[in-house]
Amino acid sequence: MSWDITGMGAVANLGATPEAVFESLCAGQETRTPLRAFDAAKYRAQYAYEIDDRAEPGRDEPLRASRWLTSVVADALADAGLGDDLTDVPVLVGTTMREQRSAELWWRDGAGIGPADLHFGTPLRRAFGARNTYTFANACSASLYALGMAADLIETDMADTVVVAGADSMTESAFGTLDKVQAETPRALRPFDESHLGMLMGEGAVAVVLQRAGTAGRARARLRGVGMNCDAHHATAPDHDGITRAVRDAHRRAGVRAEDIDLVMLHGSGTPRNDETEAGVLAEVFADAGAGPLMTAIKSMTGHTLGGSGLLSLVMAVIAFEQRRVPPVLGLTDPIKQAAGLRLVRHETVAAEPRTAQIDAFGFGGINAVAILEATR
Amino acid sequence: MTATSDDIVITGVGLAVPGLGGAADLLGAPSGTDGFDPATGLTGREMRNKDRASRLALHCAHTALRDAGLVDADGYTGDRDTTAVVVSSNLGTLEGLCQAVDTIAEQTVVGLSPLGLPGTSSNVVAGWVAIRYGLRGPNLTVCNGATSGLDALYWARNLIAAGRAGAAVVVGVEPANEAVTRMLGRPSTDVAAALVLEPARTAAARAADGRATIGRYARTADLAGAVAAATGGAEAIGLRLTGADLEARLGPCSGALGVLQVAAAAAHLSGGGRGPVLATTGGAPEDDAAAALVLTACGH
Repeated sequence: MSWDITGMGAVANLGATPEAVFESLCAGQETRTPLRAFDAAKYRAQYAYEIDDRAEPGRDEPLRASRWLTSVVADALADAGLGDDLTDVPVLVGTTMREQRSAELWWRDGAGIGPADLHFGTPLRRAFGARNTYTFANACSASLYALGMAADLIETDMADTVVVAGADSMTESAFGTLDKVQAETPRALRPFDESHLGMLMGEGAVAVVLQRAGTAGRARARLRGVGMNCDAHHATAPDHDGITRAVRDAHRRAGVRAEDIDLVMLHGSGTPRNDETEAGVLAEVFADAGAGPLMTAIKSMTGHTLGGSGLLSLVMAVIAFEQRRVPPVLGLTDPIKQAAGLRLVRHETVAAEPRTAQIDAFGFGGINAVAILEATR
Repeated sequence: MTATSDDIVITGVGLAVPGLGGAADLLGAPSGTDGFDPATGLTGREMRNKDRASRLALHCAHTALRDAGLVDADGYTGDRDTTAVVVSSNLGTLEGLCQAVDTIAEQTVVGLSPLGLPGTSSNVVAGWVAIRYGLRGPNLTVCNGATSGLDALYWARNLIAAGRAGAAVVVGVEPANEAVTRMLGRPSTDVAAALVLEPARTAAARAADGRATIGRYARTADLAGAVAAATGGAEAIGLRLTGADLEARLGPCSGALGVLQVAAAAAHLSGGGRGPVLATTGGAPEDDAAAALVLTACGH
């Protein structure tokens, strides 16, 4: 079975449409900016990849993630040629933080937030009349988990059309605790480079319309399958065996072999543990797959957009199919030894004609999701 | 009702609600003996360095797995690769983030504890349950407001029906603390319940007792609509369990509510009570939706 992706929307630090984000990725410019969401004097990390859309500089606002989510869902529906009435359409949202940033502003500054504001069903009901909405807090694999469960809804005849989304704004508690825990303080997110010191957060939201194959006229890409599992190994560190099982499960569900993959959108969070583990797994998986797929890591320019990051990678893969080019991993000059045999795109955007892409997303709690996507061009 | 090959049944139930001994206590006056006491029930090696919601969840998950006959001295005896964990919680991580915000304001990030890192992500409970029992199947955290507990049952069933999982441990949990009390505007309570879900044929093959069969579910705009969609308008209901009734007895249950309702339903049906049971949550003016789930007695 396969599923059509018929509409897309995205917002991140780099732009407010999928095409704008992709164009900025291809430009390959440094994009992180000085920390503005929080009082920088309280942190060691001084940079982030924020969406700087606050009304007053330096004064954070509640419900920004809800606002971005509503906007990208509207964009995805318009792209799919659908109206904005989601009364009968399930909406599955993957997130790491939900609206916990708003809860922080409530606790500290008295922002007017109630329990119903913590999940995304509330703004989705208001904007689209949606009732069949689900907020899945599945850490940084959340939006690909949501994508897999959306595909299940269609496969088991519970829906023909599902909106899948991801959204996160940075929280002080997570930014700060990560800052405390990372042994050294990164000045930028540098996945797979010897200079990588850790993760820096970004912000963003992303949505796709997933439909039963043939339901709509135009499919921008075709989803072939999503694998999902849990390491059951460590609360925050990745696990080689768990990630390997997720990748192989995705290939099996999609009915593809490793040699069929010609593009990998890496999780690439820039932490030494992730990069070494992910590169090690992929080196094994693609060991007998000839030259192997091209690989890129968009977090080098978007930062880690958390729950939505997997789906954002997937949307960028769709545009890579359409525009026949793959953006580079920014700042990758000296790859770590585990990545030595991988065809990481470096320095500049390359022309390519990928037809099948693998998208990785791994999260705290050892939860992994891997999607396989096919071009329709 | 006869079990069909596609039925998904509840084979284990566990609670962590202060003063209550088991799910039957949710139906009537608690027996008062052997009730759960957080002061003594949340201790031990497995509980160390974990947030309160995770400790409550681990306590009731263990009871549920033991009730299902799926743990022995070496741990989980089911298929670890295909067992899912599904957790519902809306407020479990609230206190940790409020404390972190205060600490950063007073001491900068230098004052934060590294032990708080897992709890910065809302899926911390599901991670700890998976690690405790080596459960490597899909691992899902549902934070979906008033309906979240019933929604978690729905998604656990979907993961099994879609072939992604061969069994699921479902936990609903909310901790009692000052931040939750302030958010809810009324005193918070420790509440947690866990259920084990399996296909009826899996349960039959290992001669495990099914306590209830998961029936139709709906999440829609209001309670009347959810009830109509879940029951098809036709079924005579033996018992209706509303969220409001349970919260009147236990205090606010938020994300734990639906799982507690289904635990009560399982106790009712396995005790010979008349079915089907209809569980409903949400639908208050501040809620974005209402949900309903039908449970039936297991066929023999």
